[in-house]
Amino acid sequence: MIVSNATLLTIMTVLFLSLGYLGVPVAFSLFAGVLVGTMFTPITMQSMVAQLFNGMDSEALMAIPFFLLVGELMTSANVVIRIAELSQALVGHIRGGLAQVTTVFSMFFSGMSGSSSADVAVLSRTMAGPMAKEGYRPEFTAALIAAASTIAALVPPSIMAVVYGAIGNVSIAGLFLGGIVPGFFIAIGLMIYCYFFGPAGFRRPRATFGQLATAGRAAALPMMIPVILLGGILTGWFTPTEAGVIAIAYILLVVIPLLNPGHMKNIWRDFIHAGMVYSLPMITIAAASAFGWLVAYLRGPIVVAGWITGFAGNDPQLIMFSLVLVFVIVGDFIEPVPAIIIFMPVVNALTEAGSINSVHMGVVLIVTLAFGLITPPYGLALLMASKFLNVTFSSALKASLPIYIIFFAAIAFTIFVPEAVLWLPKHVFPESVGCFKAPGGTGYICP
Amino acid sequence: MPEPIVQQTGRHLKWPALDRLERALMILCGVCLAAFVFSTFVDVVTRETGHALLWLQEVTSTFFIYGIFVGTAVATRRNDHLFLSALTEQMSGAPRLFFDVFNRVVVLLVGLGMVVFGIQNFFTGLGSFRMPSMWPMSYLYIAIPICGALIALFSLEQIVNGLKNGFQSDADHGHIQEAGV
Repeated sequence: MIVSNATLLTIMTVLFLSLGYLGVPVAFSLFAGVLVGTMFTPITMQSMVAQLFNGMDSEALMAIPFFLLVGELMTSANVVIRIAELSQALVGHIRGGLAQVTTVFSMFFSGMSGSSSADVAVLSRTMAGPMAKEGYRPEFTAALIAAASTIAALVPPSIMAVVYGAIGNVSIAGLFLGGIVPGFFIAIGLMIYCYFFGPAGFRRPRATFGQLATAGRAAALPMMIPVILLGGILTGWFTPTEAGVIAIAYILLVVIPLLNPGHMKNIWRDFIHAGMVYSLPMITIAAASAFGWLVAYLRGPIVVAGWITGFAGNDPQLIMFSLVLVFVIVGDFIEPVPAIIIFMPVVNALTEAGSINSVHMGVVLIVTLAFGLITPPYGLALLMASKFLNVTFSSALKASLPIYIIFFAAIAFTIFVPEAVLWLPKHVFPESVGCFKAPGGTGYICP
Repeated sequence: MPEPIVQQTGRHLKWPALDRLERALMILCGVCLAAFVFSTFVDVVTRETGHALLWLQEVTSTFFIYGIFVGTAVATRRNDHLFLSALTEQMSGAPRLFFDVFNRVVVLLVGLGMVVFGIQNFFTGLGSFRMPSMWPMSYLYIAIPICGALIALFSLEQIVNGLKNGFQSDADHGHIQEAGV
């Protein structure tokens, strides 16, 4: 039977979305779309099954289980409470008290987990109870926790950046560094919002220097984890995967034995749980890769890229703005990871068409997808937070609406001020953004 | 009190006889992850000390890939996969029953597809080899049909028990999964 590419792409997409929204797991919905699509092409089914392998056969993607395990170990050993206490000593006295603490805590924990979902789980577990006791409305708390957890998608060791870098052949270290400025932008935006528009909360006295030093000392060992991760990668000693394993060795050999030795007997449970959990994003990545491969075979990316360049020409800002619109819509319906994988050929084509720095483009799209984590109908972080806090999704969504302004500003900032996004990568790891050593041997030349 | 390894939610959809399999698969997930962590760690150490062992990278990726397929299979029984949404859970009566069965039949068919086409891929893999062991790729590819068979088995278990005992109850956990990124 002869079916046009456009019809086939429509069938695959409709099948994936309808199955997904009916309640078939994402990986199986994607693969069902692949199997049905393949039936109408000359491609053999077995070669599409082999695509599952190709999707996961990447050294960079191996970092994902390590980062998930770091989050699992830190949470289950209850070490994170020390970071919450440090956050409280730092900002607990500011108007908005615990709301400010939640944002700062999320910043710190994001530097270890790389996963927004892990952040939501940890923040809900540690902050929701105390915030309820101090009279914060649970809808506000859910909205804040969800928004703060998106920082994990931006700052190192962001799993989204790992996937983007691995699939798009973009420097992961560059994406890590480029995500720091927008990550801080959102964190500071949330703190300002909580200060002026959030509940006043319970005003605590400012922590004395002694209290701050005590909290800092107590949190010093876990706070070394982001240093190991980022330091190892940026100095070139380790790849992200290796940095992840070194961080795990540090947690297993130093952090847990010194801070919670009683947990050592339960570590095997953490491995069992994390061993199952890491397979879930990975099989989704594998299925999305097969889906994306077939979409590319059917020339889908060329068509979409043609539409966008038809509208935006070669103007980099218009191209990025158009892609942001596409990703806002896509991110509302599907998970960030499959979205990245399926649309990567389009992104690559447009990055080239607009002569855009690939790290800059990556950061813009990651910020956009992070925003998708708190927008309906599929804002995973907001869904999780509303579930953990026992509030309806719609009420949490209503409380989130003012926070959207911060994200609009962050997206606009990343699009229109590339110098700010690329400043850190250019100064810390110039090669990551395409700079090369000057012939004289001193300094770098950047395009 | 630590949680038991075999998930206790959705018991009405489970055959007790398969609990041991779930337990074994969960432990295998842990073993694969532990071996993956250990081999990567040794790989870093041996490389940094100038005694790199090339075969370690093959061992690492083998545990990584097996861990994914074992985890995917067991997550099907535990209803732990990543979901977009579950409009089905907002339905009631006959439409709800229809889509509860339909969704699992889709998973069952995808599982069977992985078995059939995975076996074909397994035989193709006998002709290509992994470096540096020079073992046929098939020893990795076999993970796909095994995973597919387990997925099909667990989907069938849920369909049969769901039709007998009903699909609802504590399985309606909102389908929110912490493994997203």
